[in-house]
Amino acid sequence: MSNDSFVEMKSITKTFPGVVANDDVSMSVKKGEIHGLLGENGAGKSTLMKILYGLYSADSGTIRLDGDTLDMDSPQDAIDAGIGMVHQHFKLIPRLSVSKNIVLGKREPMSVFKTEPDQTDEKIPSSIISHPVLQWIGSRFTLGLEKPKSEIQALANEYGFDIDVSTPVWQLSVGERQRVEILKALYRDVNLLILDEPTAVLTSKEAERLFETLSKLTEEGVSIVIITHKLDEIQSITDRVTVLREGEGIGTVKTADVDREDLARMMVGRDVLLEIDSEQVPNGKPVLEASNLYADDERGVEVLSGVDLTVHQGEIVGVAGVSGNGQLELAEAAAGVRGVTDGSIAVNGKDITNKSTRSFINHGVSFVPEDRYLDGCAGELSVMHNSILKGYKNDRFGEGLRLDYDSSASYAEELVEEFDVRGINDVSEICAEELSGGNLQKLILAREMLRDPDLLVASQPTRGVDVGAIEFIRERLLAQRDEGTGILLMSEDLDEIFDLSDRVLVIYEGEIVHETTPEEGSRQRVGLEMNGGETVSDSAKGMTTVAADGGRSET
Amino acid sequence: MLFDVELTPRKEIPSWIGYITPIATILASLLVCSVILLALNVNPIKAYEMMFIQTLTTESGLIFTINKAVPLILVGVAVYLPLKAQLLNIGAEGQLLAGAIVGTWIALNVSLPTILLIPLMFLGAGVAGLLWMAIPALLRTRFGINEIITTLLFVFIAQRIVSYLVRGPMQQPGGNFPQSASIPGVSQLPEVPGLGVSVGILLATVLIICVYIIINYTRLGYEITVTGANDRAAEKSGISKYKVYLFVLLAGAAFAGFAGINEIAGEEGRLRASFNPGYGFTGIPIALLGRNGALQVMLAAIFFAVIFVGGSNIETLLGVPSEIIGVLQALIILFLLTAEFFKNYSVSMSLKSASKGGPRDNTDVEGGA
Repeated sequence: MSNDSFVEMKSITKTFPGVVANDDVSMSVKKGEIHGLLGENGAGKSTLMKILYGLYSADSGTIRLDGDTLDMDSPQDAIDAGIGMVHQHFKLIPRLSVSKNIVLGKREPMSVFKTEPDQTDEKIPSSIISHPVLQWIGSRFTLGLEKPKSEIQALANEYGFDIDVSTPVWQLSVGERQRVEILKALYRDVNLLILDEPTAVLTSKEAERLFETLSKLTEEGVSIVIITHKLDEIQSITDRVTVLREGEGIGTVKTADVDREDLARMMVGRDVLLEIDSEQVPNGKPVLEASNLYADDERGVEVLSGVDLTVHQGEIVGVAGVSGNGQLELAEAAAGVRGVTDGSIAVNGKDITNKSTRSFINHGVSFVPEDRYLDGCAGELSVMHNSILKGYKNDRFGEGLRLDYDSSASYAEELVEEFDVRGINDVSEICAEELSGGNLQKLILAREMLRDPDLLVASQPTRGVDVGAIEFIRERLLAQRDEGTGILLMSEDLDEIFDLSDRVLVIYEGEIVHETTPEEGSRQRVGLEMNGGETVSDSAKGMTTVAADGGRSET
Repeated sequence: MLFDVELTPRKEIPSWIGYITPIATILASLLVCSVILLALNVNPIKAYEMMFIQTLTTESGLIFTINKAVPLILVGVAVYLPLKAQLLNIGAEGQLLAGAIVGTWIALNVSLPTILLIPLMFLGAGVAGLLWMAIPALLRTRFGINEIITTLLFVFIAQRIVSYLVRGPMQQPGGNFPQSASIPGVSQLPEVPGLGVSVGILLATVLIICVYIIINYTRLGYEITVTGANDRAAEKSGISKYKVYLFVLLAGAAFAGFAGINEIAGEEGRLRASFNPGYGFTGIPIALLGRNGALQVMLAAIFFAVIFVGGSNIETLLGVPSEIIGVLQALIILFLLTAEFFKNYSVSMSLKSASKGGPRDNTDVEGGA
């Protein structure tokens, strides 16, 4: 390895019971570079970075930072050494404000108890304030947010984050929350920032902004490691990339020297079909007829304003939209999870508006929710429990009141086998949350698809999963369509919408504003409509075009 | 003496810790309790021998323990069932009192042979406990109002109602004490022939088995488990959260009602103003200790019964004040619950000098700016 490397991980090996997560992996990161860490789900990327961040300790191998050997027992040691990590699932407390979330874990006592008091309070004599015991108590148990708050706001402004630091985190969008996580790292003066699948939860526009921020950071000498399985990202922003496959380091290459196909081959170990041909199948009778739908979100704000939508048998209808424009609620309404305030929903010609979720399920509706951890599974329960979530009332799992866990387990094994879910040796032992993102998503899709639904509502089915799984999931979606299932597909990935859909709808501010087909429509036009069509300002329009076209540069 | 305490979650819990902790914690709590006993000039070894060995080896000790375990098992389930769906029934005591009131009323006012009367009393008590939960349960399911607060407040209401009834409508005719008349012999819980223990234990065992079967072998149990693990995912799978919440709260409350009448018909013999067994609250640590399953709840209840019975043994035989017994019992429970925490966290402490810079140099400790 070259001498100018800032971080050097050498011969890292980490085993978990029954699995070698990292097998003699080495990588080095130079100062001020963006280094990609590429691999399929379960390749050991997250494990390697968790070792670097002190969350796991390696069985063997060394970590050197700026020439010094690091010996880390906890993330605290990593933070001390100037390493920051933005996790895939944000570690923020929704009820607290941005600034409180950022100072969390640090002591920010009232200014009079600081090492260098920046002001003196006239009301209390300084002889009392400087008493050691009072100082000790004060420095531990008081919270002074004024100074940190202005520092954080200044930091946010410096990086062009449009965030008011006194806003509670629950009011922020996913992209903004991620910026809060980055701010949290910056506030702790990081030299190395690790981002675990940072764009998995972002819209393409937000991802674009993230990348701008990252390159700004590197200009200031911060090194960045991005864990990802998106080839486009690797190509557009990284300087070098290290590829892992099944726990082994495949090698580190300069991004400029390789193309997408090379990377995919390194990652999967064989040639990968990056685009899928979708064949037209004749449309049958409508399975979902929604007319004039109105619905509110949790806070009672109207988020669907008169949506008309029809999905036919054997048809994929793609709904494109920027997150927060009502597609989440539309998906939930179509799946019978969210009640509507007006309008009607008919499945297979039968009006079941505002009936229970169970009656939607019984009418043949399946639902793949957007957030697989929050809504798609019960993480602490076993794969077996999660496999029968939809079908547990079915007679095959026992008559009457009885639930037969043996036949449930064998059903779970069927799902696992059929959808090639990896990392499971006993379906009643492994918890859903122990599966990697892609494998969990496969399990959820298996659960929803193998019951042969008439209508499948799939919200962001491939978000945050690796290339191999994306390919698999897309093929299964098309196969399901060919069997006659009507599919309502929500996605922020325009490529996905265009590759899979038979019809494309665009949702903006709770209304369907545009309809086209993949053959006739253009990505630019759809990208524009997602952001409100002609009415948007020029700068936003420019960004949208870039975002909508992002990652398609080679076609 | 300035020091820092750091807690770090254990990444992997070594298997030996799981076996060692219960034993080590009980020993540690006994060690601490010895200090108190020594201060009272009581030989701790003798006291512990009396408390545990004699309680568990003599016939009378075992009978007392089993009879004591019955209400504890029932209130344990009263908390355990809601806990399974992530709800906390803090007010089992209130439901227990409601059960005691209605059960006593039936015993005093209905004349039937024992074989019919006692089931009727238990039925009435169960329904009373359930109804006592009805308002908190409806508030929880309809409006999302925190069941911890409402169930607790309903305890105070129940206590006042008992207090009123035994001085008013239910007061023993012609008596001056704030208590009801004695319930007739036909309404008192008989013993299991040949064993000397109250039939309550049979009921409690049957009920525990029912709960075990419901949780582990039925669709309803599956719905409860899933709702407890992730209510959002449950709703998306068509599981009615309301149905699950109503079931666990109301069924749990009925169990507390059973415990109430079991106390009246098995121990007290009448409803007194001072009837305030506190089992409802003991149900909380029992359910927490036994939260992994109905059978564990039963074991935890029996363990509590042992320390209660053993405690009153040394109180009477060695003259240890009952307050001290309370302290001993509380310490044992406290140690056990704390052990659960230390199973999951490792602790390290470091001393720091109390010099001037001491309190202020927290930046390097926190690894900050």
